[in-house]
Amino acid sequence: MRETPLSNCEREFILNFIAQQKRLDGRNAYDYRDLRIAFGVSLGCCHVELGKTRVLAQVSCEVGEPKQTRPHDGVLYVNVELSPMACPSFEQGRQSEEGIELSRLMERCLKESRCLDMESLCIVSGEKAWHVRVDIHVLNHEGNILDCASIAAISALAHFRRPDVSVHGEEITIHTLEDRNPVPLSLHHMPLLVSFAFFSQGKFMLVDPSSKEEKVMEGKMVVGMNKHRELCTLQVTGQMLLLKEQVLRCSSIALTKVTKITELIHEALDKDKQARLKGEKHGFAMLVSGDRVTANRLPTTEVKVDTLEISDEMERSQSSSEDGESQSGNEPMEEQIVATPKESAVEILTKGVGVIGEGGTSTWLDIPQADSKQTAAKKRKHKLEKMEEGIDDEGSSEEEEKVILK
Amino acid sequence: MSVDIRLASSRPAGTDLYHGENPGNIVTPGDVITADSGFMRGHGTYMEDECLHASVAGTVERVNKLISVRPLKTRYNGEIGDVVIGRIRELAQKRWKVETHSRMDSVLMLSSVNLPGGELRRRSEEDEKMMRHYLKEGDLISAEVQNVMSDGCLSLHTRSLKYGKLGQGCLVCISPSLVLRRKTHFHNLPIGASIILGNNGFIWISPTVQDKSEESGGYETNLQPIPKLDREVIARLRNCVLALAECKMLLFDTCILYAYEASLKYAVKDLLKPEVAVEVVDLVRQRLELEGS
Repeated sequence: MRETPLSNCEREFILNFIAQQKRLDGRNAYDYRDLRIAFGVSLGCCHVELGKTRVLAQVSCEVGEPKQTRPHDGVLYVNVELSPMACPSFEQGRQSEEGIELSRLMERCLKESRCLDMESLCIVSGEKAWHVRVDIHVLNHEGNILDCASIAAISALAHFRRPDVSVHGEEITIHTLEDRNPVPLSLHHMPLLVSFAFFSQGKFMLVDPSSKEEKVMEGKMVVGMNKHRELCTLQVTGQMLLLKEQVLRCSSIALTKVTKITELIHEALDKDKQARLKGEKHGFAMLVSGDRVTANRLPTTEVKVDTLEISDEMERSQSSSEDGESQSGNEPMEEQIVATPKESAVEILTKGVGVIGEGGTSTWLDIPQADSKQTAAKKRKHKLEKMEEGIDDEGSSEEEEKVILK
Repeated sequence: MSVDIRLASSRPAGTDLYHGENPGNIVTPGDVITADSGFMRGHGTYMEDECLHASVAGTVERVNKLISVRPLKTRYNGEIGDVVIGRIRELAQKRWKVETHSRMDSVLMLSSVNLPGGELRRRSEEDEKMMRHYLKEGDLISAEVQNVMSDGCLSLHTRSLKYGKLGQGCLVCISPSLVLRRKTHFHNLPIGASIILGNNGFIWISPTVQDKSEESGGYETNLQPIPKLDREVIARLRNCVLALAECKMLLFDTCILYAYEASLKYAVKDLLKPEVAVEVVDLVRQRLELEGS
């Protein structure tokens, strides 16, 4: 099913906003979204969340014949699966253009950068070698699948252990997992892809575009680097021309990002290793926190409200109400709220509803008759999705507004 | 800016919202409809282990020997004669592809629109090249379904003067199942706004055009600035429509008008709060029941 297209006014709004050096979710131009890396119980399974985009990578291996042209090397397959689970516009089975582009970029990133030592995957030259397969499944598409997929693939390759092989003269034994501990793959370095979205013919650039920003972008550049300042991949798509300085600047930005992300990957790998050594709980069960009713977890958003500090009681009552406590549990909470009117700036309207701060005045302009249609009223769309918060829409644009109710 | 905080436990429970009678034949995916094998399967059902199961959530409908399940929440399924509001997605050979929130893009043929110079003019090469000047990507149009093709794709036409490109106004997208098929879908409300209830769930609210004689079939869009009072009326109507849709009320001009009148005592932006919305819809429901009895 095809996606709903963005309305004209939404498109204009996002482009105007970007021209003012702001982003819809409040990030800076060079900020990544929250990155979470988790490993599964089975070796070589990695789940990465970049904001709401989720990608799962699984590495597997089997013994097969090496390629005729390279008898001393193993074989690496990379495959990116786009299913309707990620986005309704992806079709099952058929490889869309986007899917083919993603697969090719991932292949180039992993194979041509020679991050994996292919010679170590050879068992008997010309006869037997390891075929390593990286399957990348996109679970949710909220923009920038490529970065997420590259992080997942590299983490999975670093996490994976292949069965140990011992050669005694003519005899080759492939040990089972019970026989001998499996051996990690030899990764020389970790190439990671960083995506840049360009707007207004290259004037504005954003790192890690979300899905709305991807829909209005004019061009995209993908830079593959590792933390040793080595450039592995470079690809520019879209209808735009870039200056040399821009390309150089993007690669230096990519370097800082890649260094940070590589640290995160190593941290996550270490944590998983420690958990396995100590025999603690590890795997995807760690992603779901056990003391909450819902599995949904949202990052905290900072809100600038023109009042005093909110007292601790309010925060506690908020967090406990998220667990859906019973009616009796609410009584003591409300008493706490009433008991400290001076510290908290929350105005209680009715039972269970509080308001902080006052809304601003309407920003609709009183148009004099002879004015043109170009006076654009600012529309501030704050998308805070916390369950207990509602933000009033202030002002509106002149021409069209669109709200989708699910 | 103001921030509203609501405790999860004080939200209205589901049973408070629905006051109608329970139809009694609602099924969810996987439910067994009947174990009798004498029925023919319709849409929304599948056969497993000699029993007929429902594959969508909805109401069971039976016509003689045909059992089908009509889903409660679905993409728009077009019928001939429906009024729809759509957005031009792309231009193709002698046609526009229009997005109408259905499973496939609808098609608006070049021969189905009113071009200036008379209705019976033959479409020439020039017309094809000028297509973008008339309707381009991102424009909103109101049209009628002329034909439903075998694969479910809708063919639209804007052959009457009341259809065509939409100018200034506000679009609200709701579920298609909340808009019934009626005699007219174009309503001029007495409060100074006009509303078009598209069968595909797109509602268009615009200020009333004063000069009826100037109807040009939507060929020219009026880009005169709209006074603030009119814009407030449109914003209030939009919030009323959203409130009605949130409480799953069927939409038609009378209930939208009642909702508008019931909402006058609140500020426009307060209508977005869930408590206020529920209150307004309750008032509308009571008034409709009074009128009905």
